[in-house]
Amino acid sequence: MIAIPLTAFLLVAAVLFAIGLYAVIAQRTAVMVLMGIELLLNATGLNLVAFWRFTAPQDYSGQIFVIIIVTIGAIEMAIGLAIMMLLYRRHQTVQVDKYKELKG
Amino acid sequence: MPVKTPFLLEEATEMEVSPVLQWAAFGIFAFISIAGALGMATTMSMFRSGIFLMASFIGVAGLFILLLADLLALLQIMMYIGGMLVMILFMLLFSGDPGGGMMSTHMRLRGPEWFFSLGLARSPSGTDGNNANDSSDKEEDQRDQARDSHQEEGEKEESNDMSMFTPAKRGAAGLALGIGVLLIALLLWRPHWAVVAQMPDPDSPRRIGHLLMDKYMIAFEGAGLLILLGIFGAVLLQRPGKYPDSAHREELRAAVEDAPAPVKTDPLKPLGLDRDREK
Amino acid sequence: MTSVLATVAALLAGVGLTAWLEPKWLGANGERGPASPVKIAADVRLTQPDPWLYYAGPVIACMGVSWAMVCIPFSPSLVGNDVNIGLFYFIVVVDFVVLGIALGGWGANTPDSVESCYRAIAQLIAYVIPLGLAIIGPIMMARSLSTVHIVEAQANAQLWYLIPQPIGFILYVISGLMQVYRAPFLEPFADPIGRGVLSVFGGWKGLLWRLALSGVLFVVAAMGAVIFLGGYSGPFLPGPVWMVIKTVGLMVLMIWLGRQVRLLSVAEMLSLSWKVLIPVGLLNVLLVGGLILLGAGQDPFSPGGGH
Repeated sequence: MIAIPLTAFLLVAAVLFAIGLYAVIAQRTAVMVLMGIELLLNATGLNLVAFWRFTAPQDYSGQIFVIIIVTIGAIEMAIGLAIMMLLYRRHQTVQVDKYKELKG
Repeated sequence: MPVKTPFLLEEATEMEVSPVLQWAAFGIFAFISIAGALGMATTMSMFRSGIFLMASFIGVAGLFILLLADLLALLQIMMYIGGMLVMILFMLLFSGDPGGGMMSTHMRLRGPEWFFSLGLARSPSGTDGNNANDSSDKEEDQRDQARDSHQEEGEKEESNDMSMFTPAKRGAAGLALGIGVLLIALLLWRPHWAVVAQMPDPDSPRRIGHLLMDKYMIAFEGAGLLILLGIFGAVLLQRPGKYPDSAHREELRAAVEDAPAPVKTDPLKPLGLDRDREK
Repeated sequence: MTSVLATVAALLAGVGLTAWLEPKWLGANGERGPASPVKIAADVRLTQPDPWLYYAGPVIACMGVSWAMVCIPFSPSLVGNDVNIGLFYFIVVVDFVVLGIALGGWGANTPDSVESCYRAIAQLIAYVIPLGLAIIGPIMMARSLSTVHIVEAQANAQLWYLIPQPIGFILYVISGLMQVYRAPFLEPFADPIGRGVLSVFGGWKGLLWRLALSGVLFVVAAMGAVIFLGGYSGPFLPGPVWMVIKTVGLMVLMIWLGRQVRLLSVAEMLSLSWKVLIPVGLLNVLLVGGLILLGAGQDPFSPGGGH
């Protein structure tokens, strides 16, 4: 039996989520913003696994959800990097506050 | 057939693990994941930032193991070691000061920003944090050759405002702190959940596999399709000739494709030899 | 506790064997790559190392190798821990060696070592997918990820998986050579960049690099022996002896084959990997699936069937 309460895991996830939020807003480089998003996804994953373990350990749907989230995270990273390279070629910078217009 | 002991002896042999040990493991992993996340958000060095994020993911993977989701933990580590290393490579290519040596010398840092930037290389010349040893001629040569395109591309558009953070940093810190405190307060206010005392099946990979191939087949195939589309999209975005490359890039390409001049003396002889001679 | 000690002892023995065996002969190109000498007696003085990453590099690489050693069986009972997702675990923890090289290379902060870091990361992209595709074949036939079960399945079927899956074996040898940075894929440790991270580490850190880089060759060869050559199973001799013989045989084969061809750059490596190895690997998975449908591979024993 696990001695640690569910709330402990949720607290860790909450702290991770807050830090990820800070990174997404405050970081200036596009890659760092992507990394902040990864952290947000990760906090969500931790919550999902914790709820799976404590409330429905016989139903593995929670883990499937996390697998899908990790996959989406990988795709997001690949596409994000591709877009970033494109923007770099266009604007010669990766700092997000330099992108003043959406039109290429 | 005896029940196999699942992954990692301690956590998994049911009932055996003492609560103290569990709490110790939880404390270590939680500390790694939170400290890593904090380091990622605050350090001045991009390389370190990626490594800290990786550490955070590995800490969360440890928490997954504690929760008996061992397959997910390994998946997480595998995805993110490779993924983060590649991401770091891209960051290095794009940024002018990936090592953070310049920022950490020229800015006044406080709190976690100071702590997580400790010991970053302070290069006297101030070009980048990635500088080599003393400035003997041989070293200079070597540096020019080994230096990668990121510095050359980066130096060109070095802006005077070189902070890694947007002007909204202070507000962002307040917002994140507020939301964090709110979430924690909500969790502590009502810490009772409908917890069941069941143990999950120790052979979880098999169960997950069956579920993926049966009930969630559509989601699984959809993820596969999404990855395929992602590959196509990334390749399509990157196809050459869509936008004119800068003249600088053309120069570099010409320089790369030129036949090298015949080498008389090899400037790239192993560093160790040089160092021996110095002593 | 005893299993921890036994694992460490086996790893040290394997590393000693590898380090003694490997420099015995040189290939056509004469570069030794990761096997070239390291300063162990004296430390290397650097002006601007990153004090965190520089020390983390060799330690993490060593940790990865010793974790990988845990799931390699020398007999049914002589295994650190028969992890039930053993092969997946193995692939994951061996990646820590790349992480260590990247950290150490960047942390040492000299042009050569940073170059070595870049090349090691690029090499990671080249080998990871073909290696996974090569390992999937044995997993499909044995219907288990556990290393002990894979060996038992081969012993029960009286068939090394080398026989039905020669393509998978060749794939494993090539991508394994990429993974352990031996010739012809020793670009991150090549002589023109001062043997990469090896020239900027000395003292105990140099010793740890020697351990990690010899150890990774040993564990990759041992895992190849387990999944393709029947591991500890064999007539007359006891299990551990068979395992050692097969591991050393595979190791010698890998090094010897690698030294017959010219060195490849990372770019050539990537194009070889993505244009040749990955399609061949997918083909291999398809072939193995066909063989299983035709009745080869697993039968009543089916380790997973018991559940």
